[in-house]
Amino acid sequence: MPTPILVVDDSAMARKVLIRSLPTSWDVEITQAANGEEALVAYRAGKADVMFLDLQMPVLDGYGVLEALQKEGLNSFVFVVSADIQPLAQERVKKLGAMAFVKKPVTTEVIEAVLKQYGVIL
Amino acid sequence: MSVIPLTEDQRDAMQEITNVAMGQAGAMLATLLGTFVTLSVPRINVLALTEVPPAIGEMVGRDIEVTAVRQSFQGYLQGEAIVIYDQDGCKELGDLMGYDEALDRTDELELLLDVSNIIVGACLGGIIEQINNLTAEKVAGKLNFSAPSLMAEGVPAEKLINPEKLTWSYALLLEVNFKLEGRNFASHLCTLMSEQSIVKMKGILDEFIASF
Amino acid sequence: MSTPHNNVSLPDFIVKLVDVGIFVVDRDMNITLWNNFMANHSGQSADAVLGKNLFECFPELPKVWLSKKIQGVFLLKNFAFTSWEQRPYLFRFPHNRPITGGVDYMYQNFTFMPVANETGEIDSVCITLFDATDIGISQTELKVAMECLSENSNRDGLTGIYNRRYLEQRLASEFDRCKRYKGEFSFIIFDLDHFKKVNDNYGHLAGDEVLCVVSQRISSLLRSADVLGRYGGEEFGVILPSTPLDGALILAERLRQIVAQEPVIFNEIAIPVTVSIGVSEFEPETPKYEHLIHCADLALYFGKKNGRNQVTPYTPELEAP
Repeated sequence: MPTPILVVDDSAMARKVLIRSLPTSWDVEITQAANGEEALVAYRAGKADVMFLDLQMPVLDGYGVLEALQKEGLNSFVFVVSADIQPLAQERVKKLGAMAFVKKPVTTEVIEAVLKQYGVIL
Repeated sequence: MSVIPLTEDQRDAMQEITNVAMGQAGAMLATLLGTFVTLSVPRINVLALTEVPPAIGEMVGRDIEVTAVRQSFQGYLQGEAIVIYDQDGCKELGDLMGYDEALDRTDELELLLDVSNIIVGACLGGIIEQINNLTAEKVAGKLNFSAPSLMAEGVPAEKLINPEKLTWSYALLLEVNFKLEGRNFASHLCTLMSEQSIVKMKGILDEFIASF
Repeated sequence: MSTPHNNVSLPDFIVKLVDVGIFVVDRDMNITLWNNFMANHSGQSADAVLGKNLFECFPELPKVWLSKKIQGVFLLKNFAFTSWEQRPYLFRFPHNRPITGGVDYMYQNFTFMPVANETGEIDSVCITLFDATDIGISQTELKVAMECLSENSNRDGLTGIYNRRYLEQRLASEFDRCKRYKGEFSFIIFDLDHFKKVNDNYGHLAGDEVLCVVSQRISSLLRSADVLGRYGGEEFGVILPSTPLDGALILAERLRQIVAQEPVIFNEIAIPVTVSIGVSEFEPETPKYEHLIHCADLALYFGKKNGRNQVTPYTPELEAP
């Protein structure tokens, strides 16, 4: 059964880049969201066993999403994928329950490595 | 290739490239200042020069008096980077950079130039790095920067640029906003690039888009 | 690569001899390159400094500030710059200009460049020093000239005190200031009595002399914060910051006395001079600064009507038809 994954970023380009970097052998069903609100809708619909989450977004940003997920009992592997690589940003997202922080720009190698590291794929 | 406004896809691609470059710039500022830096989502536009002053006025706030530092860059991309601060922001700087004694005007100015240099170097350097990463042959090399200099003080934002004094007819306006958490400091980076550079950028963006 | 001189490569040759200071430091601030410009101007040869700490060789350098600056380049991997306009110089190199214009040492512009090794790590910073003395001297002279010019455009050509334009500007800004911060100030207008007669009887040169002498006498009694300006032909205004009406009246009386008590001597002729003075005070309800001028003027008019050579405060009763 394909794993439902959610790609959240306000930039269509960034979403494309991320999707392209996913391991080809990984059996996934991909949903996309352009801001935090859409992300939460998709999450509640069960489309986000794994979530790739950008931080800077309009309407509701990445931090907002993480906070909401914590309240609802975080039930997703969340990887924050962001250009905002400040140490404090990384700390914050970890505290809010993100699994890991991935720096943009992403590459296939980096994504594969982080997915393996956290046991999402073998 | 005529210089017409960016397509939706090109703008999105440019936005993402700038986003990554700004992330790096923000991280550098954060390391230097030991504080959290908020970066706004960049606004990107190709504008005719006459549209630039009102665009800056809108970005910063009309009639807000600003201080601006300019720095030119040459190499694969060529143009002027302008970092704009409002008056209150300037005063916060000294405190942030860890100067214990009150700064005199010369120190303040030096600080302004240093911070501007950091922002510009990181942002534009970042964009060039992205271009290098995206193209097979690392086509962009490295940029050269001139020394930063004070461009204006206490001038209303929309009066900052005089279109008649610029040599190009179009500008690629990258507007990015830095805010420091808990502090009254905000600065805006505005980049004007020559037509040739815009054409080059568009070529890269199209290449980037096509690869998906 | 050509080897023009003693097997030194062309780039090395150029770096050595170019008329710009070039030196390189490593992460410990030890000098790893020192070109001829630096050697000649510092009096320390490359042999003497290579491998040594920059700050030990040059204790005059601002160590804390400069270390921070260089560390910044290592950390951020970015160019940095220093301009003579913020810091005239770092190294105390004598300059060789015949006309110094007050410049004591060579003015310097610096560029700091990160230098990467083969593995791509930044292991050194290359610092270039540009002699900016000429620019420094002419900019400084230009600035002084501009300031003179600006001052001149605010001054009355004859008496040297401020002109009407400037006086009104200052009045307007003092007015705004007091409105915003609830301050107080007073405004005086004084006018030479029978001045036309002075010109008619003694000539215009005498009249000019009278204007100058009166300006000087009045100036001598004012504080540095007070602003004296020539409002018209024989009319003058004085802005008295932080002064309420009663204080202004006391001063005005002294001004009247210092003009009246002695004649003005011109070509051995004694010309008696008096002034009439009108005084108005800033009130928070005053809508515009021009109102203050109107009030002082009105008071002045009454002083003239009442026999001249007197001080008249503005009161609202004066407005009655």
